[in-house]
Amino acid sequence: MAKVTIATDWLAACAGCHMSLLDIDDRIVQLLEAVEFTSSPITDLKHPPEEGVTVGILSGAISNTRNVEVAKQMRERCQILIAIGDCATFGGVVASRNMVGTEEALKRAYIETESTVDGLIPDSPELGKPLDRVTGVGDLVQVDLFIPGCPPRADALFYALSELLAGRTPVILPPEHFVYD
Amino acid sequence: MAMVNLKINDQKVSAPAGSTILEAARLAGVDIPTLCDHPALTPIGACRMCLVEVKGQRALQPACTFPIAEGMEVQTESSKVKEARKFVLELLFSERNHYCMYCEMTGDCELQSLGYRYGIDHWVYPTYTKRFPVDATRQYFIMDHNRCIVCRRCIRACGELVANHTLGMRQRGADSMIHADMNVPFGESSCVSCGTCLQVCPTGALVDKRSAFMGRDVETEHIKSVCSQCSIGCGMEIVTRAGNVLRVEGDWDAPVNAGVICQVARFDPLYDERQRVAKPLLRKNGKLAEVGWDKALQSVAEHMAGTDSRKLGVLTTSNATNEALYLLAKLFGKELQATNIGMLNGVAPKVSGNSEASLADIAQSDVILVVGADPVNDQPVASFFVKRAIDKGARLIVVDGEDNELAPFASLNLKMADINKAIEIAQRADYPVVVYGIGVTKKAVKALRELGQKAKFVPLEPGVNTHAVAAFGLDNGFDPAAAQALYVLVGEQDWDGKGVLEKMGKGAFLVVQASYESPLIEHADVVLPMAIWSERAGSLTNTEGRVQKANKAVEPEGEAKPDWEILSLLANKMGKKFSTSLDEISALAAERLK
Repeated sequence: MAKVTIATDWLAACAGCHMSLLDIDDRIVQLLEAVEFTSSPITDLKHPPEEGVTVGILSGAISNTRNVEVAKQMRERCQILIAIGDCATFGGVVASRNMVGTEEALKRAYIETESTVDGLIPDSPELGKPLDRVTGVGDLVQVDLFIPGCPPRADALFYALSELLAGRTPVILPPEHFVYD
Repeated sequence: MAMVNLKINDQKVSAPAGSTILEAARLAGVDIPTLCDHPALTPIGACRMCLVEVKGQRALQPACTFPIAEGMEVQTESSKVKEARKFVLELLFSERNHYCMYCEMTGDCELQSLGYRYGIDHWVYPTYTKRFPVDATRQYFIMDHNRCIVCRRCIRACGELVANHTLGMRQRGADSMIHADMNVPFGESSCVSCGTCLQVCPTGALVDKRSAFMGRDVETEHIKSVCSQCSIGCGMEIVTRAGNVLRVEGDWDAPVNAGVICQVARFDPLYDERQRVAKPLLRKNGKLAEVGWDKALQSVAEHMAGTDSRKLGVLTTSNATNEALYLLAKLFGKELQATNIGMLNGVAPKVSGNSEASLADIAQSDVILVVGADPVNDQPVASFFVKRAIDKGARLIVVDGEDNELAPFASLNLKMADINKAIEIAQRADYPVVVYGIGVTKKAVKALRELGQKAKFVPLEPGVNTHAVAAFGLDNGFDPAAAQALYVLVGEQDWDGKGVLEKMGKGAFLVVQASYESPLIEHADVVLPMAIWSERAGSLTNTEGRVQKANKAVEPEGEAKPDWEILSLLANKMGKKFSTSLDEISALAAERLK
């Protein structure tokens, strides 16, 4: 039987969710018997393959135009999209910027901080343009499963993947795996 | 009591007439989620979390306010109900900042826990990004309006429980905000910082500054105890983690205060900056030096045994346990035959020949006379009793100085000389209560006695355990000039010895049993370090004469020991066979207090 393909990517994230994915530990070997990780930010191959994957996993919030592009591409190339972590489900820590506004946040971070001399707001064309409002992935594209948590526990990720492999799509995680922080 | 029969989730239930659906469900063990509801507060049906389906009713109804009726049929977890609750939660989460991962209350938040219960794993509605202010102008706790769900628990706690009416609402809809007085910063408002609002807040909107981010509730221990900051004896819970006191909360089950405590109980003791005495000290070559307990007690024992009983003096604070005061009276009064025994605080004169009334009587009264007492400053929780009674229509007459802080709430303020006017009014009342303190003059006492059986008399003792001090005969009147050896149980009290030490004979021997360093200690020959309120068990007698058990929450600082244990050890050092068991001493003390 062909292996189930999984692609992961991150948006405005801290990498913590991917650390949690690695925290599945030796169970990942057991997982790899049935799945193939085609691409991820922590492997050589970064982008989900054009022919598509079964499961797409996104961590991080939609914070700039680059995130929009990555999220849309993942949605197009996967059958089941999972948003993992508080940033991807709610906007998370990144969304605290909404309380002050993007412009204000950039000014404070790059120009006004006490330790900054001759600050400059980065505007290189290779960077995505910051959006006015930070949102979770679900506000942009259809998400099939939300796994909140900052980061989601490795057990929660393992549980969700195991369920999918068994042919069941969890709608809401059971309480022991359901955390907001 | 008339019972009403109804069905909740097809289960037959009967509950007293006049109950709400929520009360009936709780009686039957059916769990209905709530958010704005709080057992100590009047339900207002604000949050709609408790919506239930009532057969025959067109819309879903809030269980917390909907009264039960005969034959009613209620569904509490139908799909319609669950959908409505989820919708309510989605709306609540979409307003303001409800990002749990950077909130102090995460793990202990009632909103969060309902989010889990109803599977809110993402937000359906765009979140509201308006920024609300954070008010940190109060010394002890913060109000973050961004975390507020406008459930109004704080407003009801301030109004119904504390009767202070500082908090209110302004604006409408999504702009609604809790505010103080006429919208002034909390720190400049009429707030008395009792922290009752903090204790009832279901989210992270009200946050204790000192214990913020110091651990979730499951990581802490709650030790029930009794406050020893004044004579009311409020029940409280000392919240600790890893041997440290994090904060103090009111005990909802406490018989005296039913959960409400004041600033002096909740906050002040945790901010005490006085230096502790951690080891026994003994004067050697003119200087105090650290010694072991054995040596310190030996020195005290020798000096006390070697002093003529007429030249033996004892002074005690009222802030000591029944057990310590009992042992103090037994050791010095009975065994050593000392008579020169006094206390650092005064005692309110007994006005009524009958047994004194209880604080709860204040709630029933229609006319309250506050005579020679200023509870707002000295026994804050007693002032809440008085203000609650005023809210219910009682008339307050303050007979005291102009600076009495209850005066602004009084319908009549009188000088002590005009007490008869107050008594006349009380004579015409149905249920007059006289709340009196140490400021009551002898003349006023005589005049008040005319009320006889007509009125209830509630004393407000000036010290913590004054009742026990007086009961054990430790309030004898003390003459410093006669004391050649003086034992001062000063405990946690601030007392510098002025007016006493300079009158004592030259070369007099001074023993101080104290928790904190002070100018008094510099004069001492022996210092015995004493545990404070959070570090000792024992019992306390409140102003009503109610004996209550205080419990130890953390280990004593350094080598400090509980007040009673020090006296028990001293007695045994002197060859007196005193019990060393707290339970035995408690029982003996309680017997004497009856």
